[in-house]
Amino acid sequence: MSNYHQKSIAYCFGLMAFAVTGSSRADEFTDADLQRYQQQFMATVAEGRELWISPKLGSNGVACAQCHPNAANTHPETYPKFQKQLGKVVPLWEMINWCLRNPLEGQPLAADDPKMTALQAYVTYERRGVKLEPGKH
Amino acid sequence: MRYIVLLVLGMTAFFTHAQSVNKQSSEIATANPQSNGTANQSGENNLLGLPSVPIPANNPQTPAKIELGDKLFHDKRFSVDGTVSCAKCHDDKLAFTDGMAVSVGHNGLTGTRNAPTVLNAAFNQFQFWDGREPDLEGQSKQPLINPVEHGLAKYEPILKIIRTDSYYPAAFQSVFGISSEKVTIDHVAKAIASFERTLVSGDSPFDRYYFKGQSDAMTDAQIRGLNLFVNQGRCVSCHIIEKDQALFTDGRFHNIGIGINQIQQDIPRLTKAFLEAKNKGGNVDVMVLSDKKSSELGRFAVTDELSQIGAFKTPTLRNVELTAPYMHDGSLLTLKDVMIHYNNGGVTKSGDRVNDFLSGGIRPLNLTDAQLEDLVAFMKALTSSKFSPKDASPAPTQAANRKRNSL
Amino acid sequence: MNTLNNSRRNFMKNVGALALGSTLPFSLVELAFAESDQNFTFAYISDAHLQHIKGTRFVRTWDRGLIRAVAETNLLTPKPDFVIFGGDLAQLGSKAELDHGTEILSALNTKVHHVMGEHDYYLDLGEYWEKLFGPQYYSFDHKGVHFIILNSIRTYDDWTFKRWPTSEQRMLEMAGLDNPNGSPFMVGEEQRKWLKSDLAKINKNTPVVVFSHSPLQKIYKGWNFWTEDAEQIQALLKPFKKVSVIYGHVHQIQYNQIGNISFNSVMATAWPWPYPQSYAQAEQYLPKLTVPMNRADPFFDRDATGWQFINLANGRVDLNYTLYNNANRIVRYNTKKKRPEDSAYQGEDARIPPQTHY
Repeated sequence: MSNYHQKSIAYCFGLMAFAVTGSSRADEFTDADLQRYQQQFMATVAEGRELWISPKLGSNGVACAQCHPNAANTHPETYPKFQKQLGKVVPLWEMINWCLRNPLEGQPLAADDPKMTALQAYVTYERRGVKLEPGKH
Repeated sequence: MRYIVLLVLGMTAFFTHAQSVNKQSSEIATANPQSNGTANQSGENNLLGLPSVPIPANNPQTPAKIELGDKLFHDKRFSVDGTVSCAKCHDDKLAFTDGMAVSVGHNGLTGTRNAPTVLNAAFNQFQFWDGREPDLEGQSKQPLINPVEHGLAKYEPILKIIRTDSYYPAAFQSVFGISSEKVTIDHVAKAIASFERTLVSGDSPFDRYYFKGQSDAMTDAQIRGLNLFVNQGRCVSCHIIEKDQALFTDGRFHNIGIGINQIQQDIPRLTKAFLEAKNKGGNVDVMVLSDKKSSELGRFAVTDELSQIGAFKTPTLRNVELTAPYMHDGSLLTLKDVMIHYNNGGVTKSGDRVNDFLSGGIRPLNLTDAQLEDLVAFMKALTSSKFSPKDASPAPTQAANRKRNSL
Repeated sequence: MNTLNNSRRNFMKNVGALALGSTLPFSLVELAFAESDQNFTFAYISDAHLQHIKGTRFVRTWDRGLIRAVAETNLLTPKPDFVIFGGDLAQLGSKAELDHGTEILSALNTKVHHVMGEHDYYLDLGEYWEKLFGPQYYSFDHKGVHFIILNSIRTYDDWTFKRWPTSEQRMLEMAGLDNPNGSPFMVGEEQRKWLKSDLAKINKNTPVVVFSHSPLQKIYKGWNFWTEDAEQIQALLKPFKKVSVIYGHVHQIQYNQIGNISFNSVMATAWPWPYPQSYAQAEQYLPKLTVPMNRADPFFDRDATGWQFINLANGRVDLNYTLYNNANRIVRYNTKKKRPEDSAYQGEDARIPPQTHY
């Protein structure tokens, strides 16, 4: 190996060592951070719950909670899955949109709409602990 | 500094490579979404968009049986006056329908129901608008002895013709291994069903667009129509499209407010009378085709279930452009009429009273006129590129060749 | 299926006045008919939840559910002796909703008895409901059977009278099934006293049928599938040989046997509810005997909803659930096993996939 090569390899290692031991570390977080993150999540879950019982999501006053108390029978752990009458495999948010359009006679939400995120946060939170079974009918 | 640049470049190169590997494999995945059926000689896949044809174990397909069935299907002698064959109402040249609201049998007698197409009927779980027969074999036997269709009192005249014909005895011998004395109506039914199982056709512009990824296979209006079909129009709830096939029917029975709206006041009297007639031994096939009002009871006539009053089978939408007029009574003349009926939420004229037994899936859709036109355009994307039997059967048959030569 | 065979026709002659479902209830022959002219049918429609939007607009799909149940009930042959409306005619107890419901039910060609539901009650504590339908609890006798109607959706006085600033707020709070601010249902002391004295006049061999909105059992408190004084009510009914309780509120098929009492729920015409076991975060119990209804297919508005007709033969009930887009169900009292059972699906190996709820 040439002298030049040896030097460049040494420099590379040096760089990596510096990265590992230096004060600018990779994504590190403390207990306090974890608590804060969890609170922010739970705030979104709470928003989702508000939407869940709200008569204003659709146009006819029907709320998600009327048919899905505590988000039961939504089965978020089974998505994505084939939904027969959507004709394709869909993730959870597309199914939520089907409900918004049909029983609630309202408008669908974009996948990244904060309301959609909140709804999904609530639905999955109420189903926490259930193992994933994507595709299950 | 140079070496940091090197490191960064190295990592970039690594990631780009990884991405391109992913892209390659996903491209491969979409190139072969499905491969149903075998390509015919011209390289097109006539079964594109369809599953494989279900063949019952007790009636396997053979070229000879198909040819025999073809002949039987077109034989006018199997009627009381020698003018009615299956093809009278299921005409090859009219996509195996007859272009009429309700069909006309012997001596100009009319029935109460619109002739469904035989194309792709092989995929139906039930035959007839009310599903009273479970298979093609069973269906083929009923019109023969219906008083307003072929008009025969029993099957014996058909079997007599078969026994004394110049062609049939040898054909039945070859296909079923029996002498003409032993031929029964079930053999006839099997042969006809075999022929009908070759009348399948996919490969429409929609199939090429949806399953083959040919984005120019449909027009813009048709693409908008497809979008409405699966979203705001809710059509896909009953006219099923799946990931790798589309039969456009759920095989179920629904009351969508056709025909029944006219007899709403009569329903209590009719259901009671119908049940009483059935108790006395009445035949459903005869009763529904000879009395228009009873005909509107739909699936109820077969199952006696109150929840199926006025419910009729979801038909396939394939080739619907060619099978006007529409609905079980042929009452809607154009595809636009159909869309308007659905848009109104189950009444043909907006503002009419919705019947009490309307299926839960039917509701006003609030679509604009332009959107209805888009849906109509999409319907026209469902016509198969070919639907002559020669492309669907495993091997070209003599009968098909003869037909092709005569066109 | 096209023609009835001989034995069915003969059977129909002997059955007398009982209504038949789409499948002939052959096992009725197993029940010994004491006096066949005492056997009769009544229909049960429940939980319509008519929901007012604005002006003359109501939520369409709940309307259609009730309209359809009424139309089909009118076709029942032979005609039922009476119809029970099992409660929750309105969604928020408003005059508009109760009037709308009265109008739809007026198409019924048979007499209707009403049971109070919480969605009818908590706006004005039943004041307008009483004007329309009569007393909130009472009993009547019919063809040798003693029928009792209870208002079993009362709750603690504190919650009813002191907790909420307005009656609208109170109604809204009770309207949320999973609302943690809710309060458990009960029959209450006043009605228990009345029930005791009413039953004292009845012979212990007289069949008793109780109509109630809440289950008169303790199933799942979180969703008020619950009656706080269930044990006390059951104790009052214990001395009687043949007791059936029919309840609404749960919007699903449930049935059970506790001691001498058969319990049967009825379907809603509006929408189905999940079984409690599908709520992962809570412990609850579903009546052991219940074979669940087929899981709702949400794409059909009327799926897993329906109405029912009930044959009363020899003092026992059999419930014939008329369901849309769904296999009909018959839950019948098994005299050998002394409990209600599904006529088709009771055995473990008779279940079908849509009956698995998770």
